[in-house]
Amino acid sequence: MKVSYCGSLAIVMAGALPLVGLAAEPPSIAATGAGAATPPSELEFATSLRLSPSQYQQTIADIFGDSIKIDGRFEPEQRDQGLLAIGARVENFTDSGLESYYHIAKGIAAQVVDERHRAALIGCAPRSQTSADQGCARAFFARLGPLLYRRPLTEQELQDRVAAAGMAADQLHDFYSGMRQSLSEMLISPDFLLRFRRMEPDPKHPGQERMSAFDKAAELSYFLWNTTPDPELMRAAASGQLDTEAGLTRQVNRLLGAPQVGDGIRALFADMLGFSDFEAVSKDPSFFPRYTPNVGDEAQEQTLRTIVDHIVNRHGDYRDLFTTPHTFLTEDLAALYNVPLIDRTANGQPQRWIPYTYAAGDPRAGILSEASFTALWSPPGRTSPTARGKALREHLLCERVPPPPGNVSFKFVDDTSNPDYKTTRDRLIAHRTNPVCAGCHKLTDPIGLALENFDSAGDFRTTENGVQINAAGELNGKQFVGPQGLAQAVHDDPATTSCVARRAFAFETGYMPPTQDAHWQQIQQQFAASHYDVLELLRAIALSDLSYSPPQSTQLAAANR
Amino acid sequence: MRIEPSPRRAAARHRSTRSIVATVAVALAWVLAASAASAETRGYVVSWFAIATNNPDFAQNCPRAAKDPNRVKFVVVDTEVPQRDIPALVDGKPAPALDYPDALQKDPGIETVVGKYAYGFDLGGPAANKFIDPDTHSAVDDQLWRAIGCTSGFQATPPVLPYNETAPWGTMIDTSPAYAIQVSGADLSKDGPVTVTLDRTLRHLERDAAGGVRSGVSYVLDPSPRSHNVLSGEIKDGVLTINPGYIYLVGDMPFYTQIDLKNAHMRLRSQPDGEVVGYWGGYTDWHAWVYTFTARPAGGADNLGIYWALKRLADADPDPVTGQNQLISVTWRMEAVPAFLATNDGKVVAMASSDGLGGKVEQPMEAQRPASSGQ
Repeated sequence: MKVSYCGSLAIVMAGALPLVGLAAEPPSIAATGAGAATPPSELEFATSLRLSPSQYQQTIADIFGDSIKIDGRFEPEQRDQGLLAIGARVENFTDSGLESYYHIAKGIAAQVVDERHRAALIGCAPRSQTSADQGCARAFFARLGPLLYRRPLTEQELQDRVAAAGMAADQLHDFYSGMRQSLSEMLISPDFLLRFRRMEPDPKHPGQERMSAFDKAAELSYFLWNTTPDPELMRAAASGQLDTEAGLTRQVNRLLGAPQVGDGIRALFADMLGFSDFEAVSKDPSFFPRYTPNVGDEAQEQTLRTIVDHIVNRHGDYRDLFTTPHTFLTEDLAALYNVPLIDRTANGQPQRWIPYTYAAGDPRAGILSEASFTALWSPPGRTSPTARGKALREHLLCERVPPPPGNVSFKFVDDTSNPDYKTTRDRLIAHRTNPVCAGCHKLTDPIGLALENFDSAGDFRTTENGVQINAAGELNGKQFVGPQGLAQAVHDDPATTSCVARRAFAFETGYMPPTQDAHWQQIQQQFAASHYDVLELLRAIALSDLSYSPPQSTQLAAANR
Repeated sequence: MRIEPSPRRAAARHRSTRSIVATVAVALAWVLAASAASAETRGYVVSWFAIATNNPDFAQNCPRAAKDPNRVKFVVVDTEVPQRDIPALVDGKPAPALDYPDALQKDPGIETVVGKYAYGFDLGGPAANKFIDPDTHSAVDDQLWRAIGCTSGFQATPPVLPYNETAPWGTMIDTSPAYAIQVSGADLSKDGPVTVTLDRTLRHLERDAAGGVRSGVSYVLDPSPRSHNVLSGEIKDGVLTINPGYIYLVGDMPFYTQIDLKNAHMRLRSQPDGEVVGYWGGYTDWHAWVYTFTARPAGGADNLGIYWALKRLADADPDPVTGQNQLISVTWRMEAVPAFLATNDGKVVAMASSDGLGGKVEQPMEAQRPASSGQ
């Protein structure tokens, strides 16, 4: 459940939230860095983070309201070191990507000024609809600017917006066309699309730098809520509270205590678990008829609901996510998993999410057994223990598995009808007789073979081609049998908790943490002391100076490799 | 052949007696079903249901229609007179034939099946009417198939659904409550006695990714007793049969408004994937059948010809006054997929199982998966 401050611009217009005061209080702006609007330095660009599609969508919804539709396709994201959030830092805009953003921006701006929304969102009426009105335009952009740029606008920026609106209005003989044009330009500005990490001199520690308060507010908000800062966080930035330990702690506690933290956790784990790859997942309906068109989306939602419930509602140990019997199902997923789920929803109504608890000993317990893992990391017509093992090592243990050589032959693994190799295990054994392949397969296959009871679609099975499945596996020297054994091995592996901590830090900052740094080790210790409560991990990261420090050159280099 | 009146007719004649008997029977059935459920109950929903056609050699079944398919649809075969030229008279006055089919002054005489083979059961009808079942090689009473088997809409052989039932069944799947089957027994992995319970569900069937009916879905059973049927039977050599009984299931147009089967027989067999395929046979009210059929978007069927053929070939339950048989032997082919079934209070009473019905079903070699590159 999300407590929404959706449509905060509309609320501001109605006077409910004095966010406009941010622009009307020059002393406050000066105190928090009047230079925030100066062109970013090379380093600031290098450490800037592009808003992810989900961040962009949530930001627009929070500023303008849910009725503003986003029409267009975002430029594809790039994954680096396991996270799109790191790729968001190192990637550049392509020409076609910018065109896409401009198309989306024009669509949003057109809706904001249309007859349905203009009264609520613009908040003032022009003296004449056929010509410019500087007063109304200025009032609008003065209120909107801080919401879009996540900092106050300088006077020059505000004048530029008003001038752009006026010029277009005079040429087009339409006030709202002018507003639309000027707003479109704001929406493709780097100040909106990129989240900068600007540094400024730290007055309390001469010779040192600190992150500007508004950028810190944005970083906190996108980290913990996956959206733009709310008015209270902006006020804390403007007042200097975020520059104090007490003020920062108060805001972090507030953000972590709000329902929106579920959105932040969902974004973190959707990125960490590689759910963006679901766009390319397909299953052959002839062989997997229960993998219906909704299943891919619902599989992701099942895992994210399970994670949020475990972390936020149950304050559970992160490691227990791999063994928890508690989850949520729809009828589609229950049918896929072949478990009973009684839903009395009427015909044609959307399916409900129903809490579901597996019986003790059920091999489906834990997120590794869910279709969001087993189906995601399988080709359309068969399983791939190699892909599953590789995914587990890279996404959950933060290890790197080398790609296969370019000339490798997949003739054994692809031929599922070969009567000499009826099971996937048989085929992989045959494949591994090639010494070029054997090295990497030793890292991946013993993990994935433990999940062979789940077919390519995530359905449970006990046989393959009429042969009983052998689900014996091994992870880092620990041997086990079946999905439950694998889940326990992942639960017990120290890399599991260190990986999620590193991913969480990188999700916030855009680069992996310096693991030898004392601050980082303190974060790890706090996480362990909390019995691996992810909320406490997020708190430790959000309160650490390490999160707001400029990255070391080695961290930047790692991300750019 | 004289058949005991169906409960729906008996209700009109012996309402009070039936009420008491039915109450006791239903109560007993519930007790039996409940006790059986405590052992093992597997659930299914009917995923395919149609008149049991058998037309592998259409020329043998319908030699004249095979030569000229249009004859069956639009022309009175015997006379070559267009059907529209046959007068229908009510009290000597012309009347619309489709509204008053009995007023037609001549049997249109459509061609009926003369082949030897049809699926079904020996219901005890006259020897002259018998077909031979291609699977069991037993005698079969199926006069409804004989009546309609030459019409173009039924020129199909399973697994092809006859054209005239395709659209109605497709609509039924997406809009109407499903038919559920529970099979209960002490140990369904072995031969032995079973209880077969038929019900309607509260929701329609769910489609799978290939457009078929999805297995493994959970359904809530309709608590109404109208479509609740409890039948005794046995599993032997992997084949489930029932002791002859009575089946009544409410239906919806444009499929069937009801499945009303007297002297009902059943023969079901498991498939390797856990689905069930089989036949239901018995006697049904030919009037009800033909009115349902003619109310459908029939797609070129000769409705008057079929009406007269059914009337002529009806083979059971003669009217005590006119002597006209009221029932006709029929076989439906059905398929069912495993499903979880629950009562309205959410209690799961039948489990979806891929193990099939009775005995071990050999798992075949899986079909070849599409090749995909990668690890």
